[in-house]
Amino acid sequence: MANEGLRDNETLSSLKNESETLKCKLEEERAKLHDVEPFLSVFFFQQDGKVIVWDAFTTNKEHAVTMPCTWVMACAYAPSGCAIACGGLDNKCSVYPLTFDKNENMAAKKKSVAMHTNYLSACSFTNSDMQILTSSGDGTCALWDVESGQLLQSFHGHAADVLCLDLAPSETGNTFVSGGCDKKAMVWDLRSGQCIQSFETHDSDINSVRYYPSGDAFASASDDATCRLYDLRADREVAIYSKESIIFGASSVDFSLSGRLLFTGYNDYTINVWDVLKGTRVSILFGHENRVSTLRVSPDGTAFCSGSWDHTLRVAVGHQRTRPPAKFIFHSGPERPPQFIKSSATAIIHADSPC
Amino acid sequence: MSGTVCSSGAVTQAQRAVEQLRLEAATERIKISKAATELMLYCQENCRQDPLLSGVPASANPFKDKKTCILL
Repeated sequence: MANEGLRDNETLSSLKNESETLKCKLEEERAKLHDVEPFLSVFFFQQDGKVIVWDAFTTNKEHAVTMPCTWVMACAYAPSGCAIACGGLDNKCSVYPLTFDKNENMAAKKKSVAMHTNYLSACSFTNSDMQILTSSGDGTCALWDVESGQLLQSFHGHAADVLCLDLAPSETGNTFVSGGCDKKAMVWDLRSGQCIQSFETHDSDINSVRYYPSGDAFASASDDATCRLYDLRADREVAIYSKESIIFGASSVDFSLSGRLLFTGYNDYTINVWDVLKGTRVSILFGHENRVSTLRVSPDGTAFCSGSWDHTLRVAVGHQRTRPPAKFIFHSGPERPPQFIKSSATAIIHADSPC
Repeated sequence: MSGTVCSSGAVTQAQRAVEQLRLEAATERIKISKAATELMLYCQENCRQDPLLSGVPASANPFKDKKTCILL
């Protein structure tokens, strides 16, 4: 009968009503704590740091490792630096042990770890080489054991493709944030699979999410041409980084080491640098000849790297509005997520996608 | 009957949505004044160690132009 599964006094319409009421209540509760405009009334003047542009050539040897798999959309370095994970339209995430021995065939040692029912959009190792977190076009995220390939936990809640994820900095615990085509950013508990918080203020797909270095907030970049900052303890959006002149989608976002600067890549080929606290744009970087699809700041904070549809990865040290941007190194092929290991210029990996 | 199956699915979905919303409504929140201040404090504490903010001295910059060697 139609009433199977319903408890007393519940009907579909009463559940929908309760749903609506709870949503309103949620907004009210959040608004009650909105006692100040974030940063505007509490901000006090502090000395601005100087930012410098270096005209630069790299002097370090770059190790570029090409993934021997087709249509890669995501890649990640293992924390030890001994393995790489990647995947894409093959719906899988595979792990390759890294070797610098030219005689060894990396593809032969490939291990398939994750299996989704749609494309793999992002992957990341957790604090060890043993577990991988993946997000997929099938609308779910999943945690896998690398050795056995076993699914340890799955995360359901997004109503559309999940495009990105980021793990909380290890000191702050076992959570991660994901962003999707349903315009929602969701924060999950790794162990229980439960969605802890969700944020739906963007007007379009969320392409990239990144935690603030302290782990108390995260930023998101969206096709609605804005980037936003969400504070996890206040449970709401606290800043929006946008300009009327910016009309193209933002594809990628990352913080500088102190969290003061936000680097964002856009589909209009530029990189904008924002002052996180003031909400103003500090700098705009040109140089790419096509969409900037991905961007990462190095772990030691000395440089950042951007990848683009113009088939290049570019590394910049510092930024400044008036002087021309730093000279760049070029790699052939790629556009998908670069990652640094350990220090800024020692290694960048990229994924080759055949055209 | 297909009508029954459809409404059971919709009911389960609605139940799940309501449960999730109840959970989220019950989370503890702090005031923005406090949250924003803490974000700012974190920035201030770490801004000196931030190379992209304070710049890198020329000697430490791995990307700087190499000067050509002039043989006299």
